[in-house]
Amino acid sequence: MTVRVRALRKSFGKHEVLKGVELDVAPGEVVGLIGPNGAGKTTLMSCLLGFLHPDSGEISIDDKRNDDLDVRRRTGFVPERMNFSRGETGWAFLRYMALLAGVPRSEVDQRTRTMLERLGIANASEKRLSQYSRGMLQRIGMCQALIHEPQYIFLDEPTSGLDPNGVLLVRDLIEEQKKRGAAVLLNSHQLAEVEKVCDRVLFLSGGVISRHETLRHVNHIVVAITMLPDSYDPVTVARLTAAVPQNNVVIATVETENDIANLVRELVASGAGVIDVRRHTADLEGIFRGEA
Amino acid sequence: MSTVVIHETMRRHFTSIAYWSYVALLTITAVGVSQFDRPGAMWPQLVTLLALIIGCGPIGPEFSSGTLQLVLVKPVNRAAYLLSRVAGVVLSVWIAALFAFVGETAGRLIDGTVPWATLGLTLFNTAADTILTVSLLTLLGSLTRAYFNLAIYFLVMIGIGILNGMLRTLGGIPDFVFQSLAVIERNLYPDVIQHFDRDWLLLVLSNAAVALLVACFAFRNREVPYGAD
Repeated sequence: MTVRVRALRKSFGKHEVLKGVELDVAPGEVVGLIGPNGAGKTTLMSCLLGFLHPDSGEISIDDKRNDDLDVRRRTGFVPERMNFSRGETGWAFLRYMALLAGVPRSEVDQRTRTMLERLGIANASEKRLSQYSRGMLQRIGMCQALIHEPQYIFLDEPTSGLDPNGVLLVRDLIEEQKKRGAAVLLNSHQLAEVEKVCDRVLFLSGGVISRHETLRHVNHIVVAITMLPDSYDPVTVARLTAAVPQNNVVIATVETENDIANLVRELVASGAGVIDVRRHTADLEGIFRGEA
Repeated sequence: MSTVVIHETMRRHFTSIAYWSYVALLTITAVGVSQFDRPGAMWPQLVTLLALIIGCGPIGPEFSSGTLQLVLVKPVNRAAYLLSRVAGVVLSVWIAALFAFVGETAGRLIDGTVPWATLGLTLFNTAADTILTVSLLTLLGSLTRAYFNLAIYFLVMIGIGILNGMLRTLGGIPDFVFQSLAVIERNLYPDVIQHFDRDWLLLVLSNAAVALLVACFAFRNREVPYGAD
């Protein structure tokens, strides 16, 4: 049950936008897609969703073609800008989307109500979409994408136009989808957001995935422990953490949060002056500066 | 076909004030023309106009507005979506035509004489013509964006007339050119007749079928990038 892309190429006229993209998104994994403007992120998303036909290469979702109706039944998509008949009410729009997505008629009203409440726009359900603010449209975009509990979720700038509450809500929703076992591909320019929600980040540049970084591991936690200079014995620290400290920082890998506490306790007992412990993630901003 | 799409298409029209205003105008006109000697006057043209107004909605404008992308990611076959949209529009127009038919029939009932056969066949042929009109607009919509389908539809219709006139003015043009123009006009823009003509009906329905077939093929292969317009 994976989103799998191999040697994907796509050109517009003589301009080759994608030059052999390869990526995988596993169930329960949130993968971020970042890259400069014009790198082909939207083109890649469009190919994945079957809106564009690739020149060559392979896209498979759960070992099926991406335009397979069974795959579509389990796919959710949030576009960067929510465009729909603005004369429709939020309720009518969401009902239609739910029915199209194959939600049983008997459950449609209940699910619509639940989603509207979850996204905090239940009060605006009878308003026309033309009266919705950008943030509200983005929220209803999330509603239509998640109402049928999809297994493959494609998000294009889902937090664009959202207030801080909305951003936090979307973050929670993504976390929920991940826990549910959905594979999520997030296209976003907001590096801080990507860093917070993604397990892995793919950097799309020059038409290929030029770099990928693991931010969070499924089975273990990576922590960066900063110690006071000259307060520790490098050999002891290396023995306890199985890693060599550099610039007074040791990057250790543990399995649980309890292990973090135990490790810190042991380091302190060995005489190390621990001054900072934080989960280690890649420096996306640095990578972006370097790659873009 | 998708009953969800057909139902939604009809629901949107039936919840529109503009649609019901037009139906009211159509019905009043039909009641009015019931005083004419000739049955089935005027309202068939108004029904065709309604078919043009709401028949230009599928595909092209949806492509430009970005609506299609939200729909196409759902488990609905592209051809099924296109045919369902056409069915929804055609049914909405038929219901409006039925109001006109009932309006004229009611008006004539007051006088006591209803030419049932002529009125019935006018309704039937108008219904058939609606299928062709909506199918042609959908075909053009599946190849273009925004409301270019309507523009092209009218451009060809007016163009044939203008070309015909210009060529006749120039003179020395072989007859087959005029015959070809007449065939194109008859196939694309047939006049609604008031009697049963099997050939006319076959022409209209087969042209509609070809238009829908080409539209399905074009739409199936069409790329729909989001944020296109």
